[in-house]
Amino acid sequence: MKKIKYIIFSLVLAVSVVFLPGCQTEQSVDADYSALVVTGQNNHNWEASAPVLKEILENSGLFAVDIAESPAKGEDMSGFAPQFAEYDVVVLDYNGDSWTENTKKAFVDYVSQGGGVVVYHAADNSFPDWKEYNQIIGLGGWGNRNEKDGPYVRWKNDRIVMDINPGSAGSHGEQHPFRVVNRVTDHPVTKGLPTEWMHAQDELYSELRGPAENLTVLSTAFADSTKGGSGEHEPVLMTIDYGSGRVFHTVLGHIGGDGSRPAMECVGFIVSLQRGAEWAASGKVTQTVPDEFPRFNVLSSWDKLRSYTTDELLECLKNFHKGDSRVCLQDLISTIRNAASNPEELAKLEKKMIKFLESRATSEAKNEICRDISQWGSEASLPILDKLMKDDDTKEMARFARERISGEYSN
Amino acid sequence: MKNNNLHMKQSKKLDRRSFFKKAAGASAMAFAFPYIIPSSALGKGGIVPPSDRIVMGVIGSGSMGTGDMRSFMGKKEVQMVAACDVDKAHRERAKTFMDQHYENKDSNIYGDYREFLATEKLDAVILALPDQWHGIIGVAVANAGLDIYGQKPLARTIWEGRQIVEAVKKNKVIWQTGSWQRSVGNFHKGAELVANGRIGKITRVEVGLPNGNPTTGVHNVQPVPEGLDWNMWLGPAPHVPYRGVCHWDWRWILDYSGGQLTDWAGHHIDIAHWGLGFDKTGPVEIEGKGVYPREGIYDVPVEYNVKAMYANGIEMTIANSRQLPHGMGTCWYGDKGWLYVRRGNVIEASDPKIMDEVIGDDENKLYFSRDHAQNLLDCIRSRKETITPAETAHRSISVGLLSEIAMLSGQKLKWDPVKEEFIDNKMADRLLRRPFRSPWTLKNN
Repeated sequence: MKKIKYIIFSLVLAVSVVFLPGCQTEQSVDADYSALVVTGQNNHNWEASAPVLKEILENSGLFAVDIAESPAKGEDMSGFAPQFAEYDVVVLDYNGDSWTENTKKAFVDYVSQGGGVVVYHAADNSFPDWKEYNQIIGLGGWGNRNEKDGPYVRWKNDRIVMDINPGSAGSHGEQHPFRVVNRVTDHPVTKGLPTEWMHAQDELYSELRGPAENLTVLSTAFADSTKGGSGEHEPVLMTIDYGSGRVFHTVLGHIGGDGSRPAMECVGFIVSLQRGAEWAASGKVTQTVPDEFPRFNVLSSWDKLRSYTTDELLECLKNFHKGDSRVCLQDLISTIRNAASNPEELAKLEKKMIKFLESRATSEAKNEICRDISQWGSEASLPILDKLMKDDDTKEMARFARERISGEYSN
Repeated sequence: MKNNNLHMKQSKKLDRRSFFKKAAGASAMAFAFPYIIPSSALGKGGIVPPSDRIVMGVIGSGSMGTGDMRSFMGKKEVQMVAACDVDKAHRERAKTFMDQHYENKDSNIYGDYREFLATEKLDAVILALPDQWHGIIGVAVANAGLDIYGQKPLARTIWEGRQIVEAVKKNKVIWQTGSWQRSVGNFHKGAELVANGRIGKITRVEVGLPNGNPTTGVHNVQPVPEGLDWNMWLGPAPHVPYRGVCHWDWRWILDYSGGQLTDWAGHHIDIAHWGLGFDKTGPVEIEGKGVYPREGIYDVPVEYNVKAMYANGIEMTIANSRQLPHGMGTCWYGDKGWLYVRRGNVIEASDPKIMDEVIGDDENKLYFSRDHAQNLLDCIRSRKETITPAETAHRSISVGLLSEIAMLSGQKLKWDPVKEEFIDNKMADRLLRRPFRSPWTLKNN
């Protein structure tokens, strides 16, 4: 599984935790909440989506996440009994065969007794005939749902309107980026987010129907008919109260069969999922909104958030010139500092640095590496530094590094 | 040496420092001065006989050096005769100030401090240089036997600071640091109350220094302005092409400065140390976090928060001011209350009655000065230690520099304030010193 880390979250922690006056301790490694992603069957690429959901939640710094994988479609479901009650929030990435009665009951009990639920994308296609499930998700689509299952819910004339006209449930036009409008802005999940923000290419679920009991539509998006949409402002983020339980329902986050996932990589999806999950788990949201959250007309993908691997950072640094963004440089330095007490890791990093210093990177990039390696490099770096000392553009910082590493100061 | 030129030409060996040293021991009245005094030497309002004046020059006559130069020129016992700066505009401005002040055209200006030191015959020198130059020039001036008014921070590295302290000691020169807050009433009073237990046993101290640095603009490589000797300005720092960042803004680049943290360590950390009696020691443990710029060419931390632990268990927090409850300044916390001082003559305490306390003559009276420049002049004559001698300055900036190292290394560091090295951390030790660019070298022998 590809590791994805989000710089922004460590940054947020750094600012809010480390710099709190009087607070000396680092953020505890113990997560505040436990989460269970339930998956294993879906009309979507669940093998690709579930690990991403786990990463997103874990990178909030709030969740420890397990994945419960069901038997494959058509196989015996009798042994599938996730321990819902042991978790603070259950994330549904499941659209498939029925669960056993016991499992269904355990789930309903879990929610009604105060458990948190996140309904993710096609999970609202699942279980069209399970009454309590539909009450929990609020709205659903496909699976022969229609007017018998409840109203359409839309934003019209500045308010939410329940439409009981007959018709089938569940549709979407072609995938495209669209604007999400937060209709409730003082809910913990949406508070502080830009009111309108661009979401990356996604399926815009439309014409969902359901019991819509105790349902709050937080955000809607206009399903443009020129894109094959319904021509309505459709709910995309919702909350549902079920018993003592809290449900956060996001229709966003389509993933392709080939694993393509622009919607899941949208910072708006990531952040709304993290906030929704925290709210479902606790009733509050403590996370700050990153600067990278998409704006009215600006898409923002997690490329802006995730921290790169050391190799990617070095690649990014290859063409560095003074005055360029220092993001890759600072992230590389952070990576190195995090390895400060791990000699093996440091030696590995040094090898990479040496290779970089031997490469065709700019002199200014090499000079920055020399400056940093002066702090921690070993004798292994001396040969390449000797070589760089023969080049006018790198000789000064190479010597700087060499003298510090060897402890032999010529001046 | 314009005011006693004849004498100097005849006897270059008799330097004025030894005169003051002798005068301190004997009655100055016992000396007779058979010099022929040119009338111009009396200058405007000359009351102090030229032969009795303290002859001074300045190395680094930018904004800070010019300010310092002018405050010393305001003293009738000072004759300011020369300025040295790598920027022609700076040194010519200094000459204009000197010549206007003395109503003559006698002052000399230099672009190279070595020529300045070799040519001028001075008693004392003002040093107001970018930090990367402090070590080399501070030692050179001390080795030339001149008394010094040196701007804080003492040095760019702990190693260089120690070299200055040793050179000052060895050459028996008088050193005053630009940590002028010690010569201001509220700081003196606050430190003295703390030193005498008026807020009880001290447990911790908070030091708030300025926030961040200016956002960086675009700094493309560009022609060096006429009259600026860029290579000389850089001196021992790594050579880089000129990008329009030089005077003043050098303090946002790690090759020249540690930013606000090291710029201000010589003020509020200095005051914290004073109240705690830490002028000859330092922390034993230090750790901290900095936020470093992600854009532009500046690389000093924009946010910093450091904890330093001293051997007696007192904890010092050093942070940019928005992270601290009192903001800028020094706040000591004792088991009977707190006391806070900052600029603007502010002194506050948990109980206002603390401020009415009188420190008796039998108590720990702290060094008294209400005129920082005058204190140096008095000490030049008396050969006594100033209110902010080199060792004190070294210990103040050491905390700033240790903070910088803790942030750069990302580690909790143990420090030996006697040996001035880290305990079991050879990598951190590397950061106690910066290699100099050839041919610059610090000669301390």
